[in-house]
Amino acid sequence: MPMYQVKPVFGDDIKTDLPTCMYKLPNIHAQRSASGCSEHALQNGTEVDPAFRDLEVRQDKIMRRLYELKAAVDGLAKTVTTPDADLDQTVTSLSQSPTATSFRGTADLDSLLGKDLGALRDIVINANPARPPLTLLVLHAMLCQRYRVLSSVHVHSSVSGVPAQLLACLGPRHADSYVRQRFQLGFTLIWKDVSKLQMKFSIQNMCPIEGEANVARFLFRLVAPYPSDPALATLVDSWVDTAFFQLAEGSAKERSAVLRALNGALGRDPWLAGPELSLADIACYCCVLQTGPAASCPANVQRWLKACENLGHFGPANPLLQ
Amino acid sequence: MIVACHNSQINVTDGSSTCLPALSAPMAYNKVAFPPAFFLKGTLFFPCEPDRGLVRVHELTPEKAGQLIWVRARIHTSRAKGKQCFLVLRQQQFNVQALVAVGERASKQMVKFAANINKESIVDVEAVVKKVEQTIESCSQQDVELHIERIFVVSQAEPRLPLQLEDCVRPEGEGDEVRMRARALGPRTTTSQAIFRLQSGVCQLFRDTLTNKGFVEIQTPKIISAASEGGANVFTVSYFKTSAYLAQSPQLYKQMCICADFDKVFCVGPVFRAEDSNTHRHLTEFVGLDIELAFNYHYHEVIESITDTMVQIFKGLRDKFQTEIQTVGKQYPSEPFKFLEPTLRLEYSEGVAMLREAGVEMGDEEDLSTPNEKLLGRLVKEKYDTDFYVLDKYPLAVRPFYTMPDPNDKKYSNSYDMFMRGEEILSGAQRIHDAQLLTERAMHHNIDLEKIKSYIDSFRYGAPPHGGGGIGLERVCMLYLGLHNVRQTSMFPRDPKRLTP
Repeated sequence: MPMYQVKPVFGDDIKTDLPTCMYKLPNIHAQRSASGCSEHALQNGTEVDPAFRDLEVRQDKIMRRLYELKAAVDGLAKTVTTPDADLDQTVTSLSQSPTATSFRGTADLDSLLGKDLGALRDIVINANPARPPLTLLVLHAMLCQRYRVLSSVHVHSSVSGVPAQLLACLGPRHADSYVRQRFQLGFTLIWKDVSKLQMKFSIQNMCPIEGEANVARFLFRLVAPYPSDPALATLVDSWVDTAFFQLAEGSAKERSAVLRALNGALGRDPWLAGPELSLADIACYCCVLQTGPAASCPANVQRWLKACENLGHFGPANPLLQ
Repeated sequence: MIVACHNSQINVTDGSSTCLPALSAPMAYNKVAFPPAFFLKGTLFFPCEPDRGLVRVHELTPEKAGQLIWVRARIHTSRAKGKQCFLVLRQQQFNVQALVAVGERASKQMVKFAANINKESIVDVEAVVKKVEQTIESCSQQDVELHIERIFVVSQAEPRLPLQLEDCVRPEGEGDEVRMRARALGPRTTTSQAIFRLQSGVCQLFRDTLTNKGFVEIQTPKIISAASEGGANVFTVSYFKTSAYLAQSPQLYKQMCICADFDKVFCVGPVFRAEDSNTHRHLTEFVGLDIELAFNYHYHEVIESITDTMVQIFKGLRDKFQTEIQTVGKQYPSEPFKFLEPTLRLEYSEGVAMLREAGVEMGDEEDLSTPNEKLLGRLVKEKYDTDFYVLDKYPLAVRPFYTMPDPNDKKYSNSYDMFMRGEEILSGAQRIHDAQLLTERAMHHNIDLEKIKSYIDSFRYGAPPHGGGGIGLERVCMLYLGLHNVRQTSMFPRDPKRLTP
């Protein structure tokens, strides 16, 4: 049936004057091109100009180079701010290869611990799972780099359960661990319900050593000797004590006082005692991070914390700090 | 339902009662009217009371204060004082104080009756639970007391007992001999009840842990034709026209099951050792819990499996049997048992070095004597604070012929011993699964090959590498609780001097 026709109300040939200062968008209803050329090449729906495409490719290349250069400069910046680092340790693999550590002078186990009577020299540490000893984990990693260490973790019957990350804190089991004789040193960590951390080594000749600070001193001497200069050695000892007594166990006032002291000391020297990383730095690093996040520390302390991390020794402590 | 009268004998089985003439008409001493008795075929019958709910003594707590309840228990002690009689009623490990007082519910004759019931008799008591202000130290139910309204004797004990139960609960060892003989009486003490309940728990945990790991329980024969490990310590039995032996260990049969592809087996059964040793830790017959399993790459898988089972048993005892451990601890105080998870494993050479450091002189391949084992246990306890550890890699010279030698060092073997509180509880090893090597080792030990021909034959048709070990149930319980004589953990012990009960 014929329909009625309506006269066009609106003319279809009105020309609109588009202002030249506007930008044009491509037609969103048009089909997208399969090659996915950049949108600005489709301006006005015209054909892609090969010149434009070349320009884009060059731009991408330049951007990539820029990013690579930026990463390299960042790496260099880290090594420059970290004294004694030969390369950026956080980029290369941390624990596998025995890279050059900053410690000079190895220690002789026989002269330190006494003659080996045929039994594995086993260091037994009893720790409370509520307060994991981070300093000792860091020192354990250092020991593993110097000697063949058989590490094992046990849970004592006085404790009913321990989180999985505490069971794995000494790293994966050594492939040779079924023959104890092949190791120079044993490191046995027992999670137990003790009030104070305790270490037992030779029950005939030594009484047990108590307190994380003292055990840390014992283990550090197996890694590298204390500085021979007595003033420097005393400085190391005083920082270790400050870390464990005032920082870890002190009130909020004491802690902020220690952080101010650290800030002052680190403003003068890159490390706390002497030209190299020492036990003082290890102890303070662990205690500072146990009390609060890095961001809440003064500027010099933050710089020093980053420098410590870049050295790569503190890997074992990080999972337990979360 | 049994009804009793003062000075009458009661026949529990058919409920009839022969009442001896009493001071007054036979009646229970209470104010409630007795159901009318009637004669049937010349015997006096009392119709049954409706079922009473008996409350267990350990459920008597202050929540039940004011309730009238029935309890069946034994008379542990009784003490009369004028118008009152104090009784202590005992049921297995629990006891409660009860009081019969002259008043509106009880007459003077009833108090006298209660005071005269022989000790150890089983009685039914209807009483009101009363809360007490002062805790009763001597009983397990310390904050309640029963005020008795009716009391009946269910089963009377003889007035003279062969031993006094208070003596059983004293820590000295003199009563041991008498205690061993009166086995129907001795285990009534709260301590013995606790010990044997714990032992039952050990067996249960052993079965459950191994079944969860995929082990199969097997039963092995105890009458065997050939003595398995040397002929010296076996019992001989006459077997029709010939003689046979009682099995010293299920070793051979466990191994045959592994060769039959059962992969992981365990068995619980008696073990007979004709050793003429009268020590605190040897029995001629005990219950052996034996494990054998095939491993994939290293015999340490066997050690881990066995130590994990033991640790699960210790954990189960620590978590579920604390009441029993505390009860035993009251009579036989000892240090609680400590262990590490995973279990500590030391090597034999380390043990020798530790002993040498402590001043003991011994050779590298010498076996550990009992005092040395105890000393080593103390040294390990001192350093690692554990009562349970494994000593691995024993010297080959001191182990039986079927032990697999260490491939890296000819002097040592793939064998291990496990210790609890410094005393050996398990001796195990990787077994030789190659018939050729087994023959060589047997000849080296001068063993007659004819006698073990069937044993060697079982390895000729493809045997997987395997190992295992066995523990003694009584010894494990004794050492876990810190007791000093294995006869305390054996219900009916057998040793060279004891054959009954």
